[in-house]
Amino acid sequence: MFLALRDLRFGRARFVLVGTVIGLVALLTTLLSGLATGLVDDGISGLRGLPLTHLALQPGAESSFSRSTLRPANLEPWTEADGVEAAPLGVSFFNAKTEDGETLDLAVFGTTPDSFLAPNATARGALAGEPGIVVSEELRGQGVEVGDELTIVGPDQTLPVLGFTYTGSYGHVDIAFTSLEEWQHLVYGDDADGRFSAVALRGGDAEVRAAADRAAGTATETKAHAYAGSPGYSAETATMTLIRVFLLAISALVVGAFFTVWTIQRTRQIGLLKALGASNGYVLRDSLGQLAIVLVAATAAGAGAAVAVGQLVGDEVPFSLQAGPVATSAVVLVVLGLAGSLVAVRKVTSVDPVIALGAEH
Amino acid sequence: MTLVLDHIAVSVPDGPDTLTILRDADLAVGAGEVVGLTGASGSGKSTLLAVAGLLRRPDEGRVVIDGTDASSLGRRARTALRGSAVGLVFQSATLFPALTAIEQLELVAHVNGRLDAGARARAAELLDAVGLGHRRRARPAQLSGGERQRVGIARALMNEPAVVLADEPTAALDDERGREAMAILASEAARRDVATLIVTHNPDQLPAGTRRVHLHDGQVVDAAAVLG
Repeated sequence: MFLALRDLRFGRARFVLVGTVIGLVALLTTLLSGLATGLVDDGISGLRGLPLTHLALQPGAESSFSRSTLRPANLEPWTEADGVEAAPLGVSFFNAKTEDGETLDLAVFGTTPDSFLAPNATARGALAGEPGIVVSEELRGQGVEVGDELTIVGPDQTLPVLGFTYTGSYGHVDIAFTSLEEWQHLVYGDDADGRFSAVALRGGDAEVRAAADRAAGTATETKAHAYAGSPGYSAETATMTLIRVFLLAISALVVGAFFTVWTIQRTRQIGLLKALGASNGYVLRDSLGQLAIVLVAATAAGAGAAVAVGQLVGDEVPFSLQAGPVATSAVVLVVLGLAGSLVAVRKVTSVDPVIALGAEH
Repeated sequence: MTLVLDHIAVSVPDGPDTLTILRDADLAVGAGEVVGLTGASGSGKSTLLAVAGLLRRPDEGRVVIDGTDASSLGRRARTALRGSAVGLVFQSATLFPALTAIEQLELVAHVNGRLDAGARARAAELLDAVGLGHRRRARPAQLSGGERQRVGIARALMNEPAVVLADEPTAALDDERGREAMAILASEAARRDVATLIVTHNPDQLPAGTRRVHLHDGQVVDAAAVLG
């Protein structure tokens, strides 16, 4: 890249200009990536944090806990399935009031004390003891403390806060755990009839699960598939994905247009380079190398700026930047930018070195 | 002979007809020899030069450079032969704006995969030879027209070519600078034993002793026979 590097230095104003545009696109793409991840976390991190691999729901529930009601008869085949750990799981949304009268939204998960969903003795003890509730660590930041009384609006049931569990939310609402019995009481009052939302499953091979599914009259799906049941999850992720796709497409078009114009401006230079003995491969390496440097530097700067901006975002906005999605987003941006330059690449290879000789042809 | 053009024919479409530019054009230039090619505008001088420089394939005929018959070579091999055996000097000393004078020469070595300490030393020596040793770090915009053309001449000699082809190298220069450039081109070619073909509109600028040929009716003829 003998010529490319010197061109970059010589024409730095031009390259800084296009680099700024690419950097801004990278900034926006990365910020959107952070928002998308934040929204996903806000939507399903509570479910994602549960140590289950599959969920058995009522057929037709379409991953939605609120549409799924199962009874003990649906659970029994699952408890007998070889190699499968199964536990009833109730999921419902409630409003709760603190002693100070502050309103909290809660996604309350109910399960049994002996469930594999209760990962340690403390959790099992909390579920087995006197009625109470274990809430997301997130609520500690809102002033909730162990021993506080939360009044669940609707059934007007008062439950003491027994402890805190992992930071998680479901349907953009902080999670809370209680015993299945208490959950049933909150949802159905004295007429629960053993009902719950789904069977949480872990392990077992596909054939065993399929047989148990048939016997139980349930519809089993993977945990990741069940994320779609979180309120608003599919629409939010689809919207974010669409915006990112548009941004990436715009970026590819901007880079492609710049590189095409730049190549057209350089046509005589490219012809001269070929006349001096440069092969198409040499000219392409030079041209694409130059573009790759601009793309990578601008994308890195834009993504870096987005990470810095991300640090300033408060808790009110669901925003989460992780190395994986940021890197993926940056790589996609670079690859699409290079793809956008394919038209110009064709132009580079088609330049006839004879143009270096001037007009008399 | 270092450069041999043997029965070269080139035609181009001209509306519904075909325009013959060169027909049975023959020319041979020996090592260290300087040949001046003249001809009316549109007579095909630059086309002949493009054929000799392997920038254009003739419809018929052979081009032999330093013993290699380029007629049967593929595109890549022709490009490689041009890079290693042919030096080109252009009308307006087409230089790369981003490169300094010495980098213009080093680029030729880089293109041919030979940019090493020896090549850098050769670039410096060539700039000294054309009187621009003190302008090595100057970019084209900082050079005069005559200086730019001298850089172009030095660049053409950078890859130690067997053949140098110059396409009206003094067209953009005043008479004095034109004669100066011609003299440098001829003396360096002779000193380095390079077969040199110079296309010019101004044969008066050709150094004394230059063999002069003329392109007439698509054929290369002895200039004296035509022009007297």
